[in-house]
Amino acid sequence: MGAGYGQGFELTPEGPIIVFPTTLGPWLDYTINGLVIGNIYALLAVGLALIFGVSHLINFAHGSVYMVGAYIGWLCVTKLNLPLPVTFVTVAAGCGLLGAVIERVGLRPLRNAPRIAPLLATIGLSVVLDQSAQLLFSPDPRALPTQLPTWRIAIGGGSIGALDLLIAGVGIGSAGLLYGFLRFTKLGWAVRATALDRDAAQQCGVDVDKVNRTVFAIASALGGVSGLLVGMYYNTIDPNMGFQAGLKGIVAQLIGGVGNVPGAIAGSLLLGLIESYGIALFGTSYRNLFAFVALILILVLRPNGLFAQARRLPPEPLTGTFIAPSRPLVLPKWAVWGLAALALALPLAVQQPYLLQTLGNAWLYALLALSLTLVAGTVGQVSLGHAGLLAIGAYASSLLALDAGVPVLLAVPLAGLVAAALGTALVYPAFRLRGHYVSIATLAVGEIVTLVILNWESLTRGPIGVTGIPPLSVAGKPLVSGQWVYWVPLAVLLAFAALQSRLLNSHLGRTLRAIREDDVAARSYGVDLNRYKGLAFAVAGFIAGVGGALMAHFYSYINHETFPAPVSMLALTMVILGGLGNVAGAVLGAAVLVGLPELFRAAAEYRMLIYGVVLLLLIRFRPQGLLGTV
Amino acid sequence: MLDLILRSTALVAGTLSLLTALGVVQPAFSQPADPAKEPVVLGVSGPLTGQYAQYGAQWQRGFDLALEQVNAGGGIQGRPLRVQFEDSQSDPKQTVAIARKFVADSRIVAELGDFTSAASMAASPIYQNGGLVQFGFTNSHPDFTRGGDFVWSNALNQAEEMPVLADYAVTALGLKRVALLFINNDWGRTSKDLFAKAARERGAEVVGAEGYLADEKDFRSALVRVRDTRPDGIVLVSYYADGAQITRQLREAGLTQPVVAAGSVYSPKFLELGGAAVEGVHTTTPFFPGDPRPEVQTFVKAYTGKYGIEPDAYSSRAYDALLLLATVIRQSGTDRTAVRDGLATVKDAPSVVYGTVRFDPQTRRVDKPLSTRLVVKNGGFALWEPGTAKVSN
Repeated sequence: MGAGYGQGFELTPEGPIIVFPTTLGPWLDYTINGLVIGNIYALLAVGLALIFGVSHLINFAHGSVYMVGAYIGWLCVTKLNLPLPVTFVTVAAGCGLLGAVIERVGLRPLRNAPRIAPLLATIGLSVVLDQSAQLLFSPDPRALPTQLPTWRIAIGGGSIGALDLLIAGVGIGSAGLLYGFLRFTKLGWAVRATALDRDAAQQCGVDVDKVNRTVFAIASALGGVSGLLVGMYYNTIDPNMGFQAGLKGIVAQLIGGVGNVPGAIAGSLLLGLIESYGIALFGTSYRNLFAFVALILILVLRPNGLFAQARRLPPEPLTGTFIAPSRPLVLPKWAVWGLAALALALPLAVQQPYLLQTLGNAWLYALLALSLTLVAGTVGQVSLGHAGLLAIGAYASSLLALDAGVPVLLAVPLAGLVAAALGTALVYPAFRLRGHYVSIATLAVGEIVTLVILNWESLTRGPIGVTGIPPLSVAGKPLVSGQWVYWVPLAVLLAFAALQSRLLNSHLGRTLRAIREDDVAARSYGVDLNRYKGLAFAVAGFIAGVGGALMAHFYSYINHETFPAPVSMLALTMVILGGLGNVAGAVLGAAVLVGLPELFRAAAEYRMLIYGVVLLLLIRFRPQGLLGTV
Repeated sequence: MLDLILRSTALVAGTLSLLTALGVVQPAFSQPADPAKEPVVLGVSGPLTGQYAQYGAQWQRGFDLALEQVNAGGGIQGRPLRVQFEDSQSDPKQTVAIARKFVADSRIVAELGDFTSAASMAASPIYQNGGLVQFGFTNSHPDFTRGGDFVWSNALNQAEEMPVLADYAVTALGLKRVALLFINNDWGRTSKDLFAKAARERGAEVVGAEGYLADEKDFRSALVRVRDTRPDGIVLVSYYADGAQITRQLREAGLTQPVVAAGSVYSPKFLELGGAAVEGVHTTTPFFPGDPRPEVQTFVKAYTGKYGIEPDAYSSRAYDALLLLATVIRQSGTDRTAVRDGLATVKDAPSVVYGTVRFDPQTRRVDKPLSTRLVVKNGGFALWEPGTAKVSN
């Protein structure tokens, strides 16, 4: 389709055609556009950086607070007709209060729980907030008109308006105020002391709870105001606006260096510029691909962010010493075999295809959880992009079967090998990273996989997706009935679970756990970190790849939306819920989290709200996971 | 102490929500005794929660209205028509489970949905093997109905829709250098190729084509690329929310060319979200409330009366799909295979979207949708009159 398309950019079989704008004019426009959008990212990044700086927590609920701010603003503007300054104060107060409540109800009870539990709590809170908004305000997007004057200043070929300037003012102003607050007020000192060492601060008489509450209130107030401003900017608000925005905010603050407030602003502007130049060079569809590749490069070259201070302490590992040593619930051998036999025999007794399909789905997701619990739990490399491995396995197996004519039974294990090799190679640059940086790097890898699938049309068929994927079949007989979608995943799962349990009990398992507990000590003991991490990711990639391949052959159709980012979140939730590193826990977590939404099906649009509440309760009362950490 | 209060509150909340869930379960099990009065049930798999929930909500409005009308008119030979709407979040792992549930439930006569291709087509093999009609009324993926002879669709066929749009843009509005912005999914991508072909055949050049991601909100830089191709018109293959966003931003960026958008922007939300910027945008729609046909007027009057808003593209298609299936079931009976055969033979079923519906039994799709040329005028959709709107931008 390349011919006849002036500057429009097409991915041809020969690869991208890069069209450089020939004059300076467009570059000025791209630069300004990058700064304008970076300006918007900065609003969220500042709040996230503040919370991270103090509580070492990536707050996934921040995007939801931002959404709540937009809706409070919408109520003020369209229903109460309040003047703009009053709207701002109301939104800030409302969201500040919400932040304090989140800290009190969702996070403070978990202060002595493993560090990973609050992360999961923020995911649960964001489900609850998003679903509540959807129920209260309907899922339809709404217009949020601005009352600002409509004049625009022409710069280059484009223009900026009053709202752009206000957003910049709020972003830079709030960062300045925060800087002053942290430097010059007593409470600010307390916040910084808490950030450096919570226990020491407490011993010196700092009211740590008050500090946390203050930080959450300030950050949430800022998040709410951002939601209001961005809602006005696009004249659109909807209950799901938080997730993508939060993701961009997290990426932006990572570029600047986590927990670094001025760095978050610089990182946001830089992210905006990177995206804008990416569009200029490659086309609109490459925007996020460019952003995530840039993120990985920055992480690899400057692991503490671009603007980290030289004398900074090394980042705290997310798990490792933060995984509370809990006593795992160990099932006796006979019970494990008994349960496995029962599970295998179930389709003989129960012939409900719906139940079997749901459990079959649970076993498929258990493969994903098994894979993730190995890298996140056992080795301590918390991956937020695990759905990418499913996608690689699914595409590899489908394309092998369809384009290369490989029999399905052979294509599935081959797809596992492809996912193992490709997955390890993609994550390899992140091996030198620690803690949260690993999570964000893997998140970026997951996004990159999706975006490459979307854009590499000659191989993956791009947005059209792969149709007509043949089902698994033995001797010409397709295995498509309710029993087979249950038995095949279960058999594969049992084999991998047995293998992984053996692995964890061997010296290899102990070595992997040593890396998690203290990588410096492990290295000084002669453990080659990269080799062992590579081994773990390869095994994990194989398991998840086989899982993805099986899904593709059951679904018969896959595209870039079959394995979206929320699947990675779901996998992590399963793993933490079951107990990190715990093989039986991963299976249980998958069964619970695939089963609960089906169980609550009768509650229709309320079911995801119930799911969120149940998730929060589970974390609250069993923070180390249902079966405990291994 | 506080901890204890929190614990108990949390527990009470949890128990209550569980009870709510179970409470809703109960009525599903109570069945009326008389088989002649037993409801005829259609299964719907669609998003009521999650990122596509807004479309599921629009479906539901269309279904509810259609059900009221069918049941007020005596239902299906005296039996009431019901819809069992299962929330799938348009997540393939849930649509396959729902498909198994529907196939195993002997009360279900046919199924409607799901919304996205990834979710709908993952379930197709189960419906096909189970012998239950999967009626995808918004599934425009070119391969959707190739899932088997139980997979049918009355979604607008892009091979028909895009030449109509090209006619409007090129022949009627006289555009010669068109830049295209399309949502980069299966629908947008297929439409883009078909539009480019149709536009070339009508003597226009497509000077630029930009695919954007579904959750994109910022189009400033994409529009710089569009601007630099020096188009004399801009075509949008977008849904209403992103279509409104692009139009706003392109007017702010100082682009004054006429904008022609695919029919999927046809929604009151397009006007609400786009504000003054969407004034003068051209679009075509198969369904238009100003259409004088009696079935359209009945629908519009009932819809605005019930919900207080004008119907949009998705609710009108849901309404249409349900009425069509009701007609087919009335003619062919409630047997699942009879419903499939009935779809192949149904003739001149009334439709607000198509005028009358008739399927091609080979492709299992509908041909020749109606098409009305519209332009946004004074904050509302109005019929376009040749010669007047060309210069309105």
